[in-house]
Parts: sequence; C-alpha cells; structure tokens
Amino acid sequence: MTDLATAGISPEAVAASAPARTHILRQLLKRRTFVIGAAGLTIIVLIALAAPFLAPHDPMTQDLGKGLAPPFWAKGGSLDHPLGTDTLGRDVASRLMYGARNSLVIALFAVLIASVLGLVAGLSAGFSRGWWDPLLMRFGDVQLAFPFILLAIAILGVISDRSAVHLILVLGIPTWILYARVVRSRVLAERDKDYVLGAKSIGASRMRQMWRYILPSVWSAVLVIAMLDFGFVILLEATLSFLGFGLTPPTPSWGSILAEGKRNMIISPWLAVLPGLAIMLTVLAINMTADGAADVLDPKLKISVFRRTPLKKPANATWTDLEGRAAASTRSQPVATKDEMGPPTLLEVSDLSVEFPLPDKVVKAVRHVSFDVHRGRTLGIVGESGSGKSVSAFSIIQLIEPPGRVTSGEVLFEGRDLTRISNYDMAQLRGIKIGMIFQNPASSLNPVLSIGSQMVETIRLHLKVSPAEARDIGSQALLNVGIGNPQAILSRYPFQLSGGMNQRVMIAMAMLTRPDLLIADEPSSALDVTTQAVVLERLREITREHQTSLILITHDIALVAEFADEILVMYAGQVCEVGPVRSVIDDARHPYTRALLQSVPRAEIESGKRLQAIPGEPPDPAELPPGCPFADRCVSVMGICRQVNPSQVRVRPHHDVACHLWSSDKDEEKV
Amino acid sequence: MLRYSLRRTAQMVVVVFGVVTLVFFILRLASGDPARMMNPPGQQEEIIQLTREKIGTDRPLMVQYWDYLLGLPQGDLGKSFHGGHPVLGELLKVFPNTAMLAVATILFSSTVAILLGIGAALRANGAFDRLVLVYVSVALATPSFWLAIVLVLIFSVHFDWLPAIDMEGPKSFVLPVLTLAVMLTPVLIRTVRQSFLETLSEDHIRAARARGIPEHRVILVHGLKVAALPLVTLIGLQLGMILAGSYVVEFIFNWPGIGKLTLDAVAGRDFPMVQGGVLVAALAFVIVNFVVDLAYAALDPRIRMSAK
Repeated sequence: MTDLATAGISPEAVAASAPARTHILRQLLKRRTFVIGAAGLTIIVLIALAAPFLAPHDPMTQDLGKGLAPPFWAKGGSLDHPLGTDTLGRDVASRLMYGARNSLVIALFAVLIASVLGLVAGLSAGFSRGWWDPLLMRFGDVQLAFPFILLAIAILGVISDRSAVHLILVLGIPTWILYARVVRSRVLAERDKDYVLGAKSIGASRMRQMWRYILPSVWSAVLVIAMLDFGFVILLEATLSFLGFGLTPPTPSWGSILAEGKRNMIISPWLAVLPGLAIMLTVLAINMTADGAADVLDPKLKISVFRRTPLKKPANATWTDLEGRAAASTRSQPVATKDEMGPPTLLEVSDLSVEFPLPDKVVKAVRHVSFDVHRGRTLGIVGESGSGKSVSAFSIIQLIEPPGRVTSGEVLFEGRDLTRISNYDMAQLRGIKIGMIFQNPASSLNPVLSIGSQMVETIRLHLKVSPAEARDIGSQALLNVGIGNPQAILSRYPFQLSGGMNQRVMIAMAMLTRPDLLIADEPSSALDVTTQAVVLERLREITREHQTSLILITHDIALVAEFADEILVMYAGQVCEVGPVRSVIDDARHPYTRALLQSVPRAEIESGKRLQAIPGEPPDPAELPPGCPFADRCVSVMGICRQVNPSQVRVRPHHDVACHLWSSDKDEEKV
Repeated sequence: MLRYSLRRTAQMVVVVFGVVTLVFFILRLASGDPARMMNPPGQQEEIIQLTREKIGTDRPLMVQYWDYLLGLPQGDLGKSFHGGHPVLGELLKVFPNTAMLAVATILFSSTVAILLGIGAALRANGAFDRLVLVYVSVALATPSFWLAIVLVLIFSVHFDWLPAIDMEGPKSFVLPVLTLAVMLTPVLIRTVRQSFLETLSEDHIRAARARGIPEHRVILVHGLKVAALPLVTLIGLQLGMILAGSYVVEFIFNWPGIGKLTLDAVAGRDFPMVQGGVLVAALAFVIVNFVVDLAYAALDPRIRMSAK
C-alpha cells in the first residue's frame, strides 16, 4: 500500500525559502493545474455539503424489490436511480454523495490532527538543543520505515465498533512526522539567522520569535503538505474501508461502497467502478491543487508532479533543427582545406548570436560576436560572469545548455560550419579535433567512475587499442602533464584528488587525441593561486608542444595578458575590444577594457596607479538597453551612447573597438 | 566496516523489538476477548474459560509477553489460536509466495520506470514527457483496490484471458503485478526523471560530451550511474513494502502470502499470527534497508571509501 515515505513528500528537498507573498492569489490563478484542481475540488465539496438537498433518496433506505438496478444509461436503468442501486436497493448516487461527506470529513480532521501534532513536534524539536530532537526524529524515522497501514489494520481490526473518531485518530496521528520534519528543518534554517538572533538580543521571548519570525516561513510548507496529505488520507481511508476496517456498516463511505460492489461485480460492475472513479477524481483534484499551490507558495518544496522545468524547447531542439538544415544545405562541404598560404586561421566565428528563451523573456546571451583563432595561437576571452564568454565557447562545440540556441552566425572550423553539421559529425569532432577543459575540474569528472576508467573510455573511443594499452597511454598522458605517480592516480576517484590534480587530469584527457583546438573555460579560477600557476604553465607547455590553438576564457585580464596572443573583451554578450594582446593591453581604447586593466594588481600592466573597482552592475541580459550596454557604468559616456549601440571600428592594425569615442562619425546611425 | 555492521544490527534489533512490543500490547489492550470470539455466541462461560486456558490468554499480560520474548530468539513465535499450528511454520510456508510477487513486481516496475523516466527527462516538456506526467498524476490518484477490480473486470471477466484470483502458474502473476506496478511506478518515474534532469545538467555530463563520448554512452553509462543512486533507496523501500505483505493486492487476488495471512489473522483475532505477520514486516524492512545501504556504498565510491 501507499506508504508515508512514498507519498511523494521528501523532507530533505525542503530548504528554507521565503515565499513571494505578493499577489499570491493572482499567481495561483495563473496556474492551470491549480485552477482545474481547485475547481474540481470545490464542486466535490459542494456536492458533499449539499448532499441532503441533492441526493434523490435517503442513502440508508432499503428497497429489496429494486436491488441491483443499472444506472440510467444502461439498459433497464431509469433517472429515478441515476447511478442504479445496490443489492439492498439503496440508491448508489445518494450513497456516493453521503459517502463523500464521511470520507472528506474524516480526512479533513485527520489532516488537522496530523498538522497540529507535526507543527508542535517540529517546532519543539527545532528549538530543542538537547536529547528531545534526536529522540523525536529517530522515532519518526522508525515510523516512516514501517508500513503504517499494517498498524492501522491491526488497531482498527480489533476495534469492533468503529466510529469516525477512531478512523480520524488512526489516520491522523501517524502522519505527524511528515509535517514535523519540514517544520523542524525550517526552524533550524531560520533559528540562527541574523534577524532572529537580533530579535533575541533585544529581548524578544522565544514564543515571540516563533510567532513573528519562524511561523511565516513554515506555514506555506505546512499548507502544501497538508493538501497532499489530504489526498493520501482519502486513499488510505478508502483502502481501509475496502478491506473491511472502515466505518462500521451501514454508514456509507466510498471504500465500503466499493467493497460491497466487489461482491456483485460480475453482474453489476458499476457498483465497484463508480465509487473508485469518485475517489480517483477527488484525489486527482486535490493533488493538482496542491501541486499548483506548491509552485507558488513554496517553490522549494520539490513535490510537484505537474511542475515543468522552465524550458520552452525540448532539450535537443537546436540540434535536430540544425540537422535538418545541414542535410539540406551543406551536402558538398570542402573537406578541411588547410590554408597553407596567408594567415593560418583554424576557427572563424562570425556574427554569432545565442539566445535563451525563457517562459516570460528571452535572454540574449551572445550578440553578433565575431572572432578568429589562428593555428598554434592563443586567444584570450575576457569578461565578467554573464558576459557571454562561456556561452560563446560552448556554442563552438554545440554544447549550449538547453533551452539556449544559436540564432545567427557561423562557426567555421576547418571550413565546416559547426552550427550546421549533424549531431553525429559534431560528436566526431568533439574530443578529437576540439578538446575542452572546464572551470570546476572535480565536478567535470564523473564522480562514480575512477580516473582510469574515464581515461580508458576516452582513449578507446578514439583509438583501437586494448584496455591495457589504453591504460598505458593514459598513464603516459598523465606523466606529460606532470603527474608523477600516474598508476596510483588512475585507480583513484575524482573526489580523492585535489582540484589542481583533477584539472591536470582534465588537461591530459583533453590532450589525448592531440586536438587542433583546445577550449579552456576558466581553467584556473577554481584553484588556489599556487596551483593556478602550475596548471596554466602545463597548459601552455603542452599546447605549444603540439601546436594546439587555445581559447582561454577567463575573467582575469592579467592572465590573458600573460598567456594569450590575441585578446577579446566581452561585455553583456558583445565584443568591446579585440586585437593583438600587446596592442590591447598597452593601448586599450574601450573604457571597459581600461577599467578592467585598472582593477588588476599586476606590476607588468600598470604600475603606480590605484586599483579601481568598476562601479555598477551589468545590464539584465533579458532587457538590454537600446544603446551601448556599458553606458551606465562608463566614465566617458556621451549622449549617443544611450541611443545607439556602437559598431566596431579599427583603431590600430587588427585592433578593433566598439565604442562611440572612436567612431569617426558619431552622429550617424551606422558606421 | 565491522563496527558499522554491528551498530546497524543493534539498531535493527531495537526497531524490531519496539514494533513487536507495540503490536503485542495494542492487540491485547484494544481488542475484545479472542476466546469469546472463537466460541459461538451464548457459549457457557466455563467453555470460554477453557478456550482461554488453551490459547494462554488467561495468564497475566506481562507473563504472556515475557513468554513471547523468550520464545523469539529460539524461533518460537507461538501457536496459532486457530488450529494450533506453529506460527513460524505458517509464515515460512507463505513467505515464498509474497517474495515471488515482490521480486516480479520490482523487476517490472523499475524497468518500466527507468525507461519512462529517462525518456521523459531526455525530452523534458516534450509530448512524451507530458504524457508520462499525466500517467504519473492519474496513477497517484488511483486507488489500488479499485484498479485491481477494474483489471479483473476487463481481463478476467470480459476477455477471460487471465485468472482473476489465486496463485496458479505464471499467468496469475500478471494482474497482481500490474496493480502493484501502477502503485509503485509514479514515485519511481518521478524520481528517475528528476534525478536524470539534475544529473544531465551536471558539469561532468557536458564534459563527457565534450570528450566526444557518444550520446547513448553519456546517458546510459555516465548519466545512469549517477542518477541511479537515489533509485536504489526508493526501490529498496518499495521492495520492503511488498515483502511486508501487499495487503490490498493479496486480499483481492486471494494471493496466499504474508499480507493475506495477516489480514485473515486480524479478522480472526489470531494474535500470535498477527504478531508473526508484523514481525516479518519489520524484519523485511530493516534487512532491506541494510542491504540498500550496502548497495549504495558499492555503487558510490564516495561512500565506499569513507566507510573504510
């Protein structure tokens, strides 16, 4: 039978949250699940309340001459008994309506008892710092682990005259733990927060703390759990009645009507089917109401059946869309024509835009970005978080998190547009021609697979070798990134290694296939300073050795100054400034680049100047201003900056900047 | 590891002891006189007294309890009030039936749930996902006893394809397993879907894709290995629940298992048999939970290593 623990309420998932109190009702009415569920529930409750007026007959009146009459739609049925009669000639429709009263009232009181008990237990456990809390919670664990219906059966089974009170107590008391756990975790979360401690220090009593500060964060959770519990108790009450442990006959309840119907189910199946439908619709209505309400009242309570992750597009829509286009347009691609003459360009990104469509807005993460990566050279992409630098990089290998999608532009790699090739072809390039390393090395390795098995998997994917040979190759690769005891590392798991060690493993794995391009997304920002230097030095050595092109993504302009050949500064999804590293560092033209340089404590960049933070916040990428996105924080802002988004202008050889300060005709719309 | 096992065993003994004690006293305090129940109404008091002496309910409550406790370690769970058979023998006779039902149900439910859950997670908010979510919410609201009856009406009465009751041959498993599966799968599917959605958005999945690992391996090896962890707990919990006796399903399908035995015993005030049924339920729970924890450690190196 459905058990407490599987009723779908997971207390662990509950964290402290402050529900948005504004316009709760309006928000609720926007949820379709809530509206349908609440409407259904209201109808059912109204029918139950109005049973004495609505019911065509007395539910207890027997008429043996009219036993087992079929419902009105079946042959021989009449509207006098719209849903037919049972063996004793009692009207089924009337019994269902009165049964609803009993089922709903029992469930309501059981839920009340449970929530009050749970609230008290949870509050007292949360505030207790002694033995009470562990005792109560341990007891709850044991109770949760035990099939509670068995106890209910054992207790109710031995009571010979069962009244509604018995059922209410047996159904209500055991579910206290569901409430208590959530309440307790809320209390613990709130108890030591500054404002509660502050109230305490000014002498607010414990009771006052509870009422004013803690209960508000508890009530919404309790309300949602109570609604789910309500549906659960109705099911349980029906089950007990069905098994013969419900209200003593002839009092109708849905379960007992069903149990009676079961005996005659061959000749009159509706007797069994109808009460079940009533139960199902009621519980469905309750669950829908609770789910809808949970979204609004308590979004952290992860119980929702209906709730959707906030996506508009299915996970792989971009890929499948693009596959279709690729099949149509790029049949005869030139196969990796290597540009022997002229400047050897490996990767050519032009006019790239990436958007994340969310339910109520569109986040423009990357806007019309263009850049080139040359063979054997390093391009540094700099920007603060949210500037679109990582998204640009991920869109190169078509790994943007859904629902993000490329809305314009080309990514030409060895002559092929990566935004248009098939999913399969892309997978062939990833890991072979293009490698990638990530910001958080520990979480970028699979936590439950050993380093060795992950390396062997990658090696054997690309090379036809035996597992033992693959292990040797892996071991050699680890040696190459400066890991002295590769055999030991291979048998370890990521959580057993330091961040620096994990990152070197990532580099070794990415370099296994000697890729032409390596994308490093903040490879050192999760590491401590000394490890950073070691890891970056390895990265530089190994990319130089194999003539690998590197895209180094970072928020640290000093790092780029040291390691990159070219530099690309991004802000709010746009390119601010791009050019050879010395030219940009020594003669930064964009106010943002200058501000970045001034915020860096590095001797080789600027000396004798005060460090300066950049005041203000970047604009919301969903509501970008019409003009330059940096205008609000810019020290040199002009009138035009707020109206026209600047285009790129060339200020020095290969050095472009998107700023009105440098555009020759500031008054024109376009350059 | 040894210390851990010892501590767990001690915990298990405490839980089982507590449950057994609770039920022992609830039965005797909340209930009428079983001896009177066993005799026809209006029976002479002397004969009822004789019945009491025969089944041992004439003795003081604490004496009965003490006797029961002394018997437990030796496997003596008392004798049934009806017919005087040793309770242990009866339990052992029906347990395999419940166990077979439990294993069949868990295998079927988890396979279905994993397939549907992964399918739903891979195309989150797609048509399939919505369909699965509708199934989940309807199944959550469906009373299992009603579903069992509807299934019997359709497949046994109307089409006459499957036996309606009793355990006879493989065909008789279909309806009970289906009924139980509709009870178990909603929570399982939700957990698989949620766990997969979370896992698939983790860094290491993207890193695996970036290494060129084919999508099916990313999902079935890298994703499933991590996403399956919360499932182990849940499946264990559900296995424990069915092993403890799926009362409704065994009742409706007249399945000769622990659940049916216990229900019959409650109805007949057969205290030793009820206690036996509850003991099996408690044991099934604590043992399955212990096995789940071991399995968890075996699957997750982070726990395995820290336990050493």
